[in-house]
Amino acid sequence: MNLQNLSIKRKLMLITMLTSSAALVLSAVSFLIYDLISFRRQLSQDLMTQAEIIGLNSGAAMAFKDETAATATLSALKAKDDIVAAALYSPEGKLFAHYFQANKSLPSSLPSRSQQNFYRFEDGYLHVFQQVTMNGERVGTLHLLSDMRQWNTRAKRYTGILVIVVLICGSLALLLSSRLQKLISKPILHLEDTMRMVSSNKNYEIRASRFYGDEIGRLIDGFNTMLSEIQLRDSALQRANNELQTSTHELEVEIIHRKRTQDELLTAKQAAEQANRAKSAFLANMSHELRTPLNAIIGYSEMLEEEVQDTAKISNVRDLQKIQAAGKHLLVLINDVLDLSKIEAGKMQLHIESFDIAGMIEEMVTTLKPAIAKNANTFQLRIPEDISAMRGDVTKVRQILLNLLSNACKFTDHGSVWLDVDRVSAAGQDWIRFRVGDTGIGISTEQQENLFQEFTQADISISRKYGGTGLGLAISHRFVQLMKGRITVESAPGQGSVFTVHLPVQAAGEQAESMAPMKTASSGVSSEVKPDADTILVIDDDMAVRDLMSRSLTKLGFRVVAAASGEEGLRLAKQLRPLVITLDVIMPDWDGWTVLNKLKADSDLAEIPVIMVTIVDNEAMGRDLGASSYLIKPVDRERLVTLIEKHRAMRSSTVAKAGVPPANWPARNQKTSRKPEVVSPRRH
Amino acid sequence: MRRSRLIVAVLLSLSLVAGANAQSSASAASSEYLIKAGFIYNFAQLVQWPSAAFSQADSPIVIGILGTDPFGTSIDRVVENKKLDGHNLVVKRLRWSRDLKDLTECNILFVSLSEREHISDVINMVKWLPILTIGETPGFAARGGIINLTLEDNKVRFEVNIGAAKQANLNISSRLLALAKIVPQGAEGKKSE
Repeated sequence: MNLQNLSIKRKLMLITMLTSSAALVLSAVSFLIYDLISFRRQLSQDLMTQAEIIGLNSGAAMAFKDETAATATLSALKAKDDIVAAALYSPEGKLFAHYFQANKSLPSSLPSRSQQNFYRFEDGYLHVFQQVTMNGERVGTLHLLSDMRQWNTRAKRYTGILVIVVLICGSLALLLSSRLQKLISKPILHLEDTMRMVSSNKNYEIRASRFYGDEIGRLIDGFNTMLSEIQLRDSALQRANNELQTSTHELEVEIIHRKRTQDELLTAKQAAEQANRAKSAFLANMSHELRTPLNAIIGYSEMLEEEVQDTAKISNVRDLQKIQAAGKHLLVLINDVLDLSKIEAGKMQLHIESFDIAGMIEEMVTTLKPAIAKNANTFQLRIPEDISAMRGDVTKVRQILLNLLSNACKFTDHGSVWLDVDRVSAAGQDWIRFRVGDTGIGISTEQQENLFQEFTQADISISRKYGGTGLGLAISHRFVQLMKGRITVESAPGQGSVFTVHLPVQAAGEQAESMAPMKTASSGVSSEVKPDADTILVIDDDMAVRDLMSRSLTKLGFRVVAAASGEEGLRLAKQLRPLVITLDVIMPDWDGWTVLNKLKADSDLAEIPVIMVTIVDNEAMGRDLGASSYLIKPVDRERLVTLIEKHRAMRSSTVAKAGVPPANWPARNQKTSRKPEVVSPRRH
Repeated sequence: MRRSRLIVAVLLSLSLVAGANAQSSASAASSEYLIKAGFIYNFAQLVQWPSAAFSQADSPIVIGILGTDPFGTSIDRVVENKKLDGHNLVVKRLRWSRDLKDLTECNILFVSLSEREHISDVINMVKWLPILTIGETPGFAARGGIINLTLEDNKVRFEVNIGAAKQANLNISSRLLALAKIVPQGAEGKKSE
């Protein structure tokens, strides 16, 4: 049992009992020991006296050697129970007379030769030696032996009394302590009860009652004060808790409300996105569909204009030019919308290849000349000789530059426009930097913030004054981002603008270039054949297209043969071996892809350049199947003519050099010429 | 008693025949008298004389031996250098009829066995005087002697005639009386006759 975990009650009782018992036992034992010691001394004194008397009485008997008398004297000791043996020894130490009680005896000769009277305790017996004298003369020695019976009896009796007294006192102490301990334990137990009640019921209104004014009383006071404090805080906490619950509930309601709103918003957003996608899809489809009629409008108006110019009916020419301009403008708008919807739909892809920067810019500037001339601006191009080639999507680079330059021309009147191209290193990478500057109206800081956002022009009024969709810069911005480059602008109102485009020299990603070497090789082989140098085969199921192509190309001195189906086209191609084949995609029976496949599969025809002319926007497919260029209807006639002229020049030079072209030139040229042409000059 | 004496006599006579045995008998006889000499000294201790018995405070206690001396030198050796109440002890050997004056000046008078014929005369002569008479003849105390030494189982014992002691004005200690056989006047004499 662990003493320390006893209850206060028991501890108090135990302390009282132990203390009183210890004191009692100690004092009683001390008394007992003292008494027994003094009693023993008294006993020895008594025995000594006894011995002295017997010595005196037996002196004469000893002197007269009267054994009988001596024995008689010793026999008187029978009355003394405690003296168990007595003996008289002659002066020589010989046993003279004796008295032995029961079975106790003494030695026949005197053990001690001492002449003194003395006593000693030995083995629980008291030995007394007394010299027997007669008239001062020693006549013998008396030896008495006592078993100290009285002492033993006394010790036993006293021990018994002591035990009884201790027991009685102990019970008394138990009785008293069990009653008196309540003085201390009762308030403590009460305090404990109260405490337990408080903690189990969580009822802080209970108070412990105070019994006395002692330390425990003060403890109880302190406890009560503490309880009041806790009660106070508890109620405050309860209040706070209630408030918190209320506000939590409100918050929950609010959260539910918001969640609902959020769900609604999400649904709305999804719906909006769905709608937007539908819109984009619709726009993309519509753009394609719109091109077909536009193709006819622009083509015929151009032809008519040329024919009417011959008849010199000036008013008709102007009308036709207006139709033509409106058609072209409409085409630009449709192309922009198409690009943007493709970007938004995430379908815009890059076609990475190496291309000659100088060549690309030269070609582009040619296209841009009318726009420069329109507002009487001067144009300056600065490009280093060693700019060499870069890897990237040439079509998109061209479109970016066309956008920036046509904007520069549009917003500058009687000023100058310039294009700087150079190569810089920044952020551990090589960049080609294009800087397009002008001395035009400039852009304010506020306007610059939204400059690259879709459907945002610097000012609504600009749209009215200068025309355009406001999509050009947004599309350029997206293109630059796609190519991991960046576009910035520096400008101030009235001080002109400078747009800077950084594009990586080596664009990330690898796009098919696999056909190029094969092409080069085959072109060498094909040079041995002598095809008709000026024949162009047009394969298209649309009669309007065939008609337009025939008429416009014939004017330029080409011989044009048209085929209404793929099968016919293939047959004619074998028969005529034309300079260039233009091929539509969407046709009955064999579509354009099939025809292209068959052309490229035939070793005799494989080297003939095929220019895809279609409303299907799938340059990648065309390129993979071996088309050298890709034009989307409505076709920019000038662009088509440029391409055909290039092929004619190449053919003639190849023939002239007898099939030994310079190592690099044809390949690069070939690549450049094979570029799918999607872009036409835009004016914003 | 007579028989024992006879035994002693026989022993004595035997001792004459065989020299070696005679020596041990002689020593037995002398040991008896050594004890008797001690007894006499002890009696002196336990008897109180009237102060008139001594002319001076340091006058010696005179022990007279009447008749044949059976002690030899043993009694002299016992009392030599001893003092009782300031009194030395002196031994005197006396003859009947020749030393009558010295006889009355003794303090202790030992009447030897050889003087048994004169016992009554001796007693009558000193019975009023403070003289402790000691005999060794049977009936000595009953005939008016104060102390008579006897042999009992070869042990020396003694008889006391208290009346005679009172007549002699001697005070005998109770301790002595406790050990003695008390003999009334005349009883022993009649008995022993």
